[in-house]
Parts: sequence; structure tokens; C-alpha cells
Amino acid sequence: MQPIIELRNVTYQYPGANTPVLRDVNLTIEKGDFVAILGGNGSGKSTMCKLFNGLIPHYYVGDLSGKVTVNSRSTLDHKVSDFSKTVGYVYQDFENQIVSPRVLEDASFAPLHFGLPDFEERGIRALEVVGLLEHRDEFVWQLSGGQKHLLALASILSLNPDIIIIDEPSAQLDPQHAREIYKLLQKLNKEEGKTIIVIEHHTEFVAEFANTVILMNQGSIEFKLPVVKALNEIELLEQHQIFPPQVTQAAAKCFPHKEQLPITIRESLDLFERGGQMEEEVSSPGPEREVIVQYDKVCYSYQTITKKKKRVLHDINLTINEGDYIALVGNNGAGKSTLMRLLTGLIKQEIGNVFLGGKDIRKTTPEKLAERITYIYQNPEQMFIDDSVEKDIGFYLRARKHPQTEKIVNQLVEQFHLKELKKRDSRLLSGGQQRRASLAIGMGMNPQIMLLDEPTANLDISTRKQVSRLLAQLKSQLKAVVIATHDMQLACEFANRIIVMHEGRIIHDGDKYSVYANQWLLKKAGLYPPQIFTLSKELEWKHPVFSVEEFVQQYERREVSYGVWT
Amino acid sequence: MEYGRKWMDKLSVEQVKIELLHTAYGNSDIFFAKLDPRTLFIWYSYFGITPWFLHNEYILLGMLLFMLVTTYFAKISPLIMLILSLGLLGQGGSLLIIALFFGGNWATLMPLFILTVKLMVISLASITVFCSMNPTQLSNGLLKIGVPGQVSFSIAYGYRMLPTLVEEYHHVFQSFRLRGKAPEKRGFLYIRTISYFVKLAVMSFYPLLLSTAKRARTTVEALETKGSMYGFNHPEVKKLKLKTLKMKKRDYLFLIASFLYVVLLFVYFY
Repeated sequence: MQPIIELRNVTYQYPGANTPVLRDVNLTIEKGDFVAILGGNGSGKSTMCKLFNGLIPHYYVGDLSGKVTVNSRSTLDHKVSDFSKTVGYVYQDFENQIVSPRVLEDASFAPLHFGLPDFEERGIRALEVVGLLEHRDEFVWQLSGGQKHLLALASILSLNPDIIIIDEPSAQLDPQHAREIYKLLQKLNKEEGKTIIVIEHHTEFVAEFANTVILMNQGSIEFKLPVVKALNEIELLEQHQIFPPQVTQAAAKCFPHKEQLPITIRESLDLFERGGQMEEEVSSPGPEREVIVQYDKVCYSYQTITKKKKRVLHDINLTINEGDYIALVGNNGAGKSTLMRLLTGLIKQEIGNVFLGGKDIRKTTPEKLAERITYIYQNPEQMFIDDSVEKDIGFYLRARKHPQTEKIVNQLVEQFHLKELKKRDSRLLSGGQQRRASLAIGMGMNPQIMLLDEPTANLDISTRKQVSRLLAQLKSQLKAVVIATHDMQLACEFANRIIVMHEGRIIHDGDKYSVYANQWLLKKAGLYPPQIFTLSKELEWKHPVFSVEEFVQQYERREVSYGVWT
Repeated sequence: MEYGRKWMDKLSVEQVKIELLHTAYGNSDIFFAKLDPRTLFIWYSYFGITPWFLHNEYILLGMLLFMLVTTYFAKISPLIMLILSLGLLGQGGSLLIIALFFGGNWATLMPLFILTVKLMVISLASITVFCSMNPTQLSNGLLKIGVPGQVSFSIAYGYRMLPTLVEEYHHVFQSFRLRGKAPEKRGFLYIRTISYFVKLAVMSFYPLLLSTAKRARTTVEALETKGSMYGFNHPEVKKLKLKTLKMKKRDYLFLIASFLYVVLLFVYFY
């Protein structure tokens, strides 16, 4: 294959930084390849991608040495605008790269500004490819998150670039939309021969879609390998806080001496034997518990720009009891956030009643409700209202002149590992740190109930695990927790009750067993069970499992009993 | 009290956002939105300036009548009208009180009345023009009359960001509410409650500025790769952009009708 990107001895240091972000990188990417770049936070992934479209060195000055060739042109000798027609880049915070108010305007922005007379046709064609054509005249703020991502992609496709770079699609999108994006990329790769480069933490997507994997570590390339080989480097990956697909992890534990491990479910079916799982006890429901929150026939609508009302919750009846740890799942726009925000008193239902401890919450101000219910925003930045982590955590207590403010703040700082960060401005922290700070702020309000909106979104896998652990600790301090999430692993580990929402209605209220036993439900709500669950199901186990540990344990137990029988 | 709460519900940040967006983009079906931006500029350059140099109350009243008609057809949002009338009444009223206080008499009323009418004509003309053009039209119009691309683009982009900013502001404001403490007593004439909210409204701006600065980085890079710099420096791009701008029959008719009306006013009352 013919190389399309070549880096020779590239070292780069941002202006004002003490150490280089890229050190002596040598890399060749072939035309028509589908490449996934793995690496921890700060390993230089995004910086490297900015080399590919000439933003470095033309937009960011700083010290660059070595040679970067894209499509046989040196990035030093050509301008950023010359590379735009070759390289398209979809950012991680893609919403900020949409610059026009209307969908079609944004899709044709680039060809228009490069003076291509067929700019509108190009925009239309790009929208058609991503499936947004019917939204062409809408305003960008009417689009959902997933649609905005597609628009950001369309806006670069309108220049018909040979190389498409996408920064962490699965971190920003719900699993269904992430899969759609990947399918689309696969199509562009196969049918139009585009070179695709994704930065990705989610190895299950990498296994399914990529051909080549690059692992980066502290500014250098650790390896560049075909995907099967790359994901078999389990120890090396785990050293860099990257977790191979669950099936690979399970296979590595069950077959430690096997040379090549499977990376997808299909491959692993050849390895694991079917059937024969031991019986498991299913726990019975506990005694009756105190009712804390009650929704009674609640409907909610909001006004759109055209001043029409749009109903987002239909006839919701729901009781939250003490000891309920609820995962609220369902697609974007299913009404999960709205359902939770009703409890904060910031928005008010149109019809029906919501009771907290038997009292109508419509009669209570948000300030009063906040003393019992804490709402943690999806975007932690929206919770940072003071100029340091410490002050943010103590804000609530200080407003109430609590005598032990300082002591409580110090405890929380300790509990959420924020000691070194407590004097810093919360907005300047990394994603995982911000999330921890927002949880500490929530706990600083000493609530009975905590509502969390997507607590693990936008986090890399290792940070995600850390946050899940913290959440598990909080259970003992709270009467009830509601988590709206797409992260099914979190839902399965954390929750004792799973509520599925779809288009403003509750379509299921049960636990992980009842949810995953129901194929129709999974499909309708766009839910993807953890990979290990699907594997155990494919293996025809009677009681499918939800974690790799459980799987390995049961698989080994089964082998032992087999041994006894034969 | 019940009434007060209802009123507060109406005047939420959310409502303001919807009104703003509606004003900016929501009325593409009205007559003025279909005119060429240049027509509106020409029209405005007359009705926005000449009232300053006119002192004949009948002509001014005639113009005011015309403006009221155009404002009616432009379907201006009630919020904007409310703000405008509060401003005008406040200004006229306070001037009157000051005049009376410093030994003026009711004869001051007449010049004040004329001033108010002038201001009304100008404000209504501005509202008609700027509320009927959507930001893209406005920006294209400015580009056409020779304003640099950067400026006209900033206007369109500013509007693109407006809902995002208002939303962000709203979130911060709500965070303050959820973590703060409202005064226990409302105070005389709700004075404590009002001062609590005013304080929050001001404090919410500070976090907003910081987070906006962070967002801007991606946007600026994206603009660079999308060729906006290239576009600003190449005249053929400008031509391509403005291809759709055309003076049509209704533009000329509107200008002629306005002209005739003004001529009529002068002939009749001068």
C-alpha cells in the first residue's frame, strides 16, 4: 500500500511548555487504512493529529523538528487551507466546530469559503452521506448530540478529504450513535477508500472496526500493529490503562497459554465451549421500604423556538423507595434528564404531581429542595461557580453558615482524592478530576438523595472505573441514588433497579436480569449489554453474567465439574 | 403572591432565550424578511436619521403612524416592545420630573413630547429593520455594502453562539440557586428576594466568561481549517456568497411607497 502520511523524526514542544509532547516520532500511515490510536490522557494523540492537518506548525508555533509529509506534500511548505481538502478533523468537543446557525449552511461553509461554485451541492451531498438531509433547514441547536456529531462530520466531508480524523467518538456519544458513526466510517473506508484515523479508548469498537492500531505513550509510538496482534498485547495495554475487549480479557484468564486470543464475540465462540453452566441463586426482593419520592401521572413539555410546545414526558408514574439505587437508561432524548430535573424544582411539570416525603414539591423552592436532593450535572463545568475546588465544595455550607464547614470540606477533599488540587480553579482540571470535584460538591450538600446525569460520560476507561468505585462508596451515605447513564457496565455494577425510558415514557422497570432477558426492550431503547453478557448468552448459559470476573469464575467452576463427571 | 409567582415563571431565563431566538430567526415569513437587506438599509438610513432634523410635530406624528404600521407587520415580540416602552416612558417621565423640579412648567411638556416622538420613530424603525432581518441576511447585507468579511461574519457567528451562551448562563444560574440559600423572609416589597436574584444574575456572568474562553479555541481552529481566512481574502468567495442577493420588484415598490408617503407628509404639513 501507498503511504499517505509520513512522520520522520518528529519532535514537537508547545510554546511555553517545559517538555516536548511528541518525541522523535516515526510513523507511516497507509492510504485506505482504518487506524485507531490508543493511549492514555496526555500521551500526545491529539497533538499528533494536529500535525496531520498543518495546524501545527502553522497555527501553533512552538518547536517542531523532523518532517511531516501528508499526501506527498510537506506540511511546512503548504498552508492549513491547502490541507483542508485532504484532511478533515472532527474534534472531541465537536459542538464548538459548528459555526453556522443552520444545518445546510454549516455543511457547505467550507466549500463556500474556499470559493467552490458547487458549494451547495457539496453540502447537500455530505448531508446525504451522513443521513441528515431531512434536517437541512433546521437550526443547529435543534439537533441532538448525535446529530450534531454527524453534522460536524458532514461539514468536513463536503470538501471530500482523503483522510478523516475523529477524536474519541464513543466518549461523547451514546453507544448506539457511536456505532452508527463507526458504521458510517467503515462505509467511507470500504466504498470510497478514505483513510480513517480515530482516537479511541473503547477497544471493543477498535476490535470491530479498525485494521491497524497505534499505541502512544508519553509522546512516542509504543507500537503500530495489525488490530488482532495489538489487542493481544494484553499486559502492555493494561500497563497503559487500556483495557482490551472483555472477551479478550476473559479468554486471557481462562486460556493463559493460548497464543492468539479472540478479540470479538464471533471469534471467541470458537474458543469457549458451550452450555453446562452451574445453577446460580437469584436473590429475592427485600422487605417493604419507605417511599421517598413519588411521581403521579406527570407530564412535562417545553417551548420550542417556534413557540410550539413539545412534550418530553408522558404520564410518568414512579415511586422511589429508600435503598433504591436506580440506573435510568435509554437513548438521548428519552427524557431521563427531565425526569430527574423535575425533582430539583428548577423545572415544573405541566400536569400531575411530584411528592417528596409526601409533600408536593411544587410548593417548595429549589433552594429548599437542594437541602435534600442533589443534582449532579452531566457537564461538571456547569457546577463550578467559585474560583477553587475547595471553595466550590464549601459553597453550600458557607451559604448556610454551617459551623463545621472547614472540617467537612477537608473530609470530602480527602474522600475524593482532591488534596493536591484543592486550590486550583475547577474549570482547569482534566475531565476525570472535574468529575470527582463535582461529586464532592454534591456530597458537600449532605443530601438524602443524589441524582447524577451521565457521571461517566467523556471519561477514559480507567477514570471511568475510578468514578464507578467512588459511586459505590457513596451508597452507604445516601438513602437513594438515581443515575442517568449510557454506560451499561456502570448500570449493571451499581444499580439494584434499572428503569428503561423511551420517548418520554417508562417502558420497563426491573433489574439487570429482567432488562437483558428482553430482546425487544434492548432493541427499542438502543441498549447494548456488556460484551461479556452477550458472550455468555451466545454460549447458551442459563444465567448470563455481567462481569469478566464472574465469567471466569463460572467458566472455571464448570470445567472442574466437567472433570468430575468424565 | 400567587400572581407574583406566575409572573416569575413567565420571566424565566428560558423564556428570554426563546424570545431572543424568535426575534432573531423566527419570523422568516413576514414581508420585511423577504426584502433585500440593502432595501432595508436604505429605508433605515432615512427613518433612522431624519427625525433628528425635523421639528414639525405633524410630520413626526405621521412618520410615527407609519412606523407603528410597519412594527405591527414585523410581528415584534412582546418582550422587546415592553423593554422599549419602559425605556421611553422612563426617559420621558424622568426628564419631565427633572424639568418640573428645576422650575420648568407644563410648557416643557411640548418639547419633551416632540423628543419622545422622535425617539419612538427612530426606535421603531430600528426594531422593524433589525428584527425582521435574520442574522445571516444582516451579515450578507453588510458584506455587500463593503463591510469587511470578518465583521459581518462575527455578527452571524455571534447569533449562532447566542443560544449556547444563554443556556450555559442558565445552568450556572441554576447551580447558584441549588447551592445557595434564598432569604427566609421576602422583605418589604420583596426587596430581599429581588436583591438575591439580582446578585445571582450578576455573579453568574463570571463563570460564563471563563468557560466561553475555553470553547473558543476549538472554534478558532475549526474556522481556520474551514477556510474562513481564505474566504475573507478572496473576492470571488464574496461574490459566490452574495449570489443570491437580488433587488426584486417588491424592494422597489416598498421604497417607492415609503418615498411617496413621506413626500405626501411634507406637502400636506409643511
